[in-house]
Amino acid sequence: MLPYYHSYTNDMEVDLAFERPDNLELALDALKTRAFRVIAGGTDVFPAVQQGQLPSAFLDVTRIAGLGGITRGDGTTRIGAATTWTDIVRAELPAAFDGLKEAAREVGSVQIQNAGTIAGNLCNASPAADGVPPLLALDARVEIASAARGTRVLALSQFIQGVRKTTLAEDELVTAVLIPDQALGTRSAFEKLGSRRYLVISICMTAANILLDAQGRIAQARVAVGSCSAVAQRLPALEADLLGKRLQDVTVSTAHLSPLSPIDDVRGSGTYRLDAAQEQCKRAILRAGAV
Amino acid sequence: MAASAHQLRIDLTVNGTVHGIDIDPRTTLLDLLRETLDLTGTKKGCNHGQCGACTVHVNGKRVLACLTLAALCDGADVRTIEGVGTPEKLHPLQDAFIAHDGFQCGYCTSGQIMSALAALEEPWGPDDAAIKEAMSGNICRCGAYPNIVAAVQEVRKSAEGGRNA
Repeated sequence: MLPYYHSYTNDMEVDLAFERPDNLELALDALKTRAFRVIAGGTDVFPAVQQGQLPSAFLDVTRIAGLGGITRGDGTTRIGAATTWTDIVRAELPAAFDGLKEAAREVGSVQIQNAGTIAGNLCNASPAADGVPPLLALDARVEIASAARGTRVLALSQFIQGVRKTTLAEDELVTAVLIPDQALGTRSAFEKLGSRRYLVISICMTAANILLDAQGRIAQARVAVGSCSAVAQRLPALEADLLGKRLQDVTVSTAHLSPLSPIDDVRGSGTYRLDAAQEQCKRAILRAGAV
Repeated sequence: MAASAHQLRIDLTVNGTVHGIDIDPRTTLLDLLRETLDLTGTKKGCNHGQCGACTVHVNGKRVLACLTLAALCDGADVRTIEGVGTPEKLHPLQDAFIAHDGFQCGYCTSGQIMSALAALEEPWGPDDAAIKEAMSGNICRCGAYPNIVAAVQEVRKSAEGGRNA
């Protein structure tokens, strides 16, 4: 028997594996052979499992060449899957990414931001993932690779399908998050409500990307809310109503929030979350639009 | 415990000493430090990434040892509180924690110091608000926060003075 302090059971029947490939091809080949828990920072692996139920097979993707870092080209900004939140906070990026940076500064703590990665946040598919609303507001796509089928790219809104549920197949790996250049002219902001200022799971959060025309009217608007539905949602009716409006005329109604279905839990009631979302939408839009 | 076929060999440097260790791949860096290497200065508070008591440096970056698989640290350079100062000659930050009464029970202190050491090398602003954000991943249940901020500020200012001298 192992002492109590270990996070796993000493079950010799378990077929343990820990693979650490240094290139993508090897990683994708490994994924063909068995089910792995892909791990980079690991910050969501332990909290997500009950004591004694850690996965038995890990695929360490932190040694894969070219999986981290932010690059421009091909009409997109490419954020490598293993890019950490600290990398994002410190990267020189256009104002369109300010909301993503604000969110990055609120993912857990600096210790977690130093380890946790952008793709890990998406694959973990928590309704309270801080990275998801700003990436939805940036109209992000997810790049996925497999040995059998090559590369596919799909919208983030298609990628996350439910609470801890994505479209990722067992033989697939997320390789990058892609932001189309169309989002680059926008400005953005992120609002997070928790029970304290830092190191807290979001009760409600909102990201907005806004572009004003020369007359100060909203020409492009994307607003996304997290922690208020199984998967963070954009608010299409609100976005449509914003077009052509000046910032001082922006109103957010309860009807605009109809895609949301917040639950009552230990962190807050559904009613409270809706109230917060309504106020956050307004704040995020006004802050994103302010020059 | 006898080595099994499931053991994974890793090499890592801890506070300047190289270790080659066979581990169960599910072992956390925190358990490896405390239970295998007997480096118990790194504390297990929540074991869940919510308190910061287990903060250590891996390749110069502060991380939570409770959320880090030891296997991810193969080839890494790890620094723990045992690698900071000695009882005879404390690190200036350790002196500052004592001078400013930056603790009561002391359980969070090694994590606070490891976090502050890293924060002093990170691009933070000079004001208390920046220090508070930089240190926000380390919970102190005794509530020594103002004293911790004062201790970090003292070291930051003296380092700044040293650079300007």
